[in-house]
Amino acid sequence: MSSIRVKPYPLPDLLAALADTQQQQNTSSLDLATGARINKPSDDPAGAAQMVINTAQSSQADTFLRGITSVTGLLQTADSTLNSVVTALQRAISLGTEGANGTLSDSDRADVASELTGIKQQLLSLANTSYQGEFIFSGTSTVQPFVADLTSPSGVTYNGNAGTNNVAVGQNYSLQINQAGSQLFTSASGNVFQSISDLINSLQANNNIGSAVSEVSDAYNHITSQRVFYGNALNQLQTQQNYLNSEKVDLATAADAISATDMAATSTAFTQSQLAIQADLAAMSRMSQSSLFDYLK
Amino acid sequence: MSSLLSTMYLATGAMAADQGALEATTNNAANVNTPGYSRELPILQETPPVVVGNLTFGTGVSLAKLESVRDPILQLSIQQETGQQGALNSFTSALSQAQSLFTAGASDIGSEISNLFSSISQLSTNPSSTALRQGVLTAASNLTSSFNNAASNLSAQRSNLDLRVVQSVQQVNTLTQQIAGLNGQITTLQNLGQEAGTFIDQRDVLINQLSGLIDVSEIKSDSGITLTTSNGTALVSGTRSFSLAAQPGASGVQHIFSQGNDITSTLSSGALGGFIEVRDQKIPGLLTSLDTLASGLSAGFNTANTTGFDLNGNTGGPLFTPVVGAGSAAKIGVAISDPALIAASSDGSAGSNGNLAKFSAIQNQTIISGATPTTYYSNIVFSVGNDVSNGTAELQSSQLVLQQLQDQRGSISGVSLDEEAANMTQYQQAYDAAAHIVTTVNQMLETVINMGTLP
Repeated sequence: MSSIRVKPYPLPDLLAALADTQQQQNTSSLDLATGARINKPSDDPAGAAQMVINTAQSSQADTFLRGITSVTGLLQTADSTLNSVVTALQRAISLGTEGANGTLSDSDRADVASELTGIKQQLLSLANTSYQGEFIFSGTSTVQPFVADLTSPSGVTYNGNAGTNNVAVGQNYSLQINQAGSQLFTSASGNVFQSISDLINSLQANNNIGSAVSEVSDAYNHITSQRVFYGNALNQLQTQQNYLNSEKVDLATAADAISATDMAATSTAFTQSQLAIQADLAAMSRMSQSSLFDYLK
Repeated sequence: MSSLLSTMYLATGAMAADQGALEATTNNAANVNTPGYSRELPILQETPPVVVGNLTFGTGVSLAKLESVRDPILQLSIQQETGQQGALNSFTSALSQAQSLFTAGASDIGSEISNLFSSISQLSTNPSSTALRQGVLTAASNLTSSFNNAASNLSAQRSNLDLRVVQSVQQVNTLTQQIAGLNGQITTLQNLGQEAGTFIDQRDVLINQLSGLIDVSEIKSDSGITLTTSNGTALVSGTRSFSLAAQPGASGVQHIFSQGNDITSTLSSGALGGFIEVRDQKIPGLLTSLDTLASGLSAGFNTANTTGFDLNGNTGGPLFTPVVGAGSAAKIGVAISDPALIAASSDGSAGSNGNLAKFSAIQNQTIISGATPTTYYSNIVFSVGNDVSNGTAELQSSQLVLQQLQDQRGSISGVSLDEEAANMTQYQQAYDAAAHIVTTVNQMLETVINMGTLP
């Protein structure tokens, strides 16, 4: 008689199976705890490499968004400053129109001129507005852009430069964030300080008031048209912000698809491995503890 | 016709044979948990018959030998697979450590690269801000530290592996000496015509341990066995063992010599094979990749910084210490400590950010072996992850094969207590029977003796 001889002791096999199952359970529980399927590169080498790029892109999108936030502050400050400039110029125009009225006495005109001097002071301070410690109308220079200068016909000197800065707000997308003060306030097509000075001088001399007022109107029109730059920039930033936010959602969705734990599947695997461990242990405990020796009395 | 005395002699011979067989059974049962033990089978043999006239009488039984039940071919397969497993085990465990350096986290090289570009982007919104400039310097120095850490960690792991290689060589030498000693004992016993099963079991266990450390080929001959590595370097020949020596080689790591020949690169199996592959190929490969990335980034940023003007209106200098070639990742550092020296300006005025665009552009330039910095880094992550993942998969399948082989060995050579209990009863009953015969013959002899006495 011959029969197949089986391996007498299955215990080592059961122990190996137990270790295997416990390893699976550890992996599942780590995946569940971290919410990520890829906890080290070897979990999914291609996925881990994709995640490096995904993370870099998403960090870049975050950076652009942070940049947009801080540039938006700067642009809003500039925009509202120019709004005040516009209001001041409107007041100057109405004062000039009032002064052009021939019924006014010399002393009345002197009052108007002195109010205009106050407006000029206000405009000087507006042109020197700063945001987070930096002058916003000085070009790429960091010095105070406009300084009162009695020797100059306009009464001010521009110490900034004509430079502009661009800030990247997207992949291959950068936006100009400033306009030089010389372009805004002392431009040939509408010189704010020169026109106010001229108006004051005309009122004091009671001469050519009408043409001085139209000079201020030119300056008003110039500032109004330049202000559009800031409005446009703010609009573009808003659009870009929406785009970046949706890009971040896309990137997060992609990251989820690459590396997130499939909770349902992993929970099932976890429960299965738990059951398998219990079954292993039960099998081991019930395995025959006795041999024929016990029955030979 | 035979005599009563010869019958008595026959019965006592049977008792001796049964007792010997019972001893084998007892020895089997005693070694039920001994690793590598092969069960012994008592070989019972008829003794030569005597012919008296036309009758042929059997003269009983003798215990010819105790034979160990083993399958030498299976043993060889187990050795080979153990070697495979040893190599894969040391390979994956060594490389898993290296892998942890490339695991996505707060301060891995990939995140630090992103952080540096992010800090530059922030600086572009307010280029004269000292705080934001300091932010760029901090991010740059974090990046260089993560390069330095990764490089020094990899070097440290390499030194550890070097130590493991030396230890493994010592273990190999101890094992080959022991095997040569056992070879001598086995040959002596076999020359005397005696069974050397126990020593062969011990030798198999040692050869198995040796296979786990180094590649082993086994050649059997009349004078015992010869063990060599797979490329033919002798380890054991009969009663002689050839020890290996670990000596510092040209590359600054320990090389393995056998009788003056450098055999380091020929070892592919066993733990030594795995250690050597990670030490001499994988870790140097990773270091080279990191060096390429570090020197590429430093060159890119330095070029960008020297084309612009710093906060004081001067032309910028290098941002990183210029590094080229081997050791770049270990040596890279930030060259400037004054935040004003970052050349953000393109026109020389302090508030210009025009030159920062050149820094940001590096992010998308294929400046490192035809890849962008991030892509290049992601390739490193892929390659180390892939090596570990393949190694682990192969290790698992090798474990299954080994388990299968050991199951097979168990089913051939393993001790079954049930079987031994059955054998015990069998031999006990035979012994009882023989003892009964002795008693009976004894009575018969008494009868014969009493025949002469008068009542």
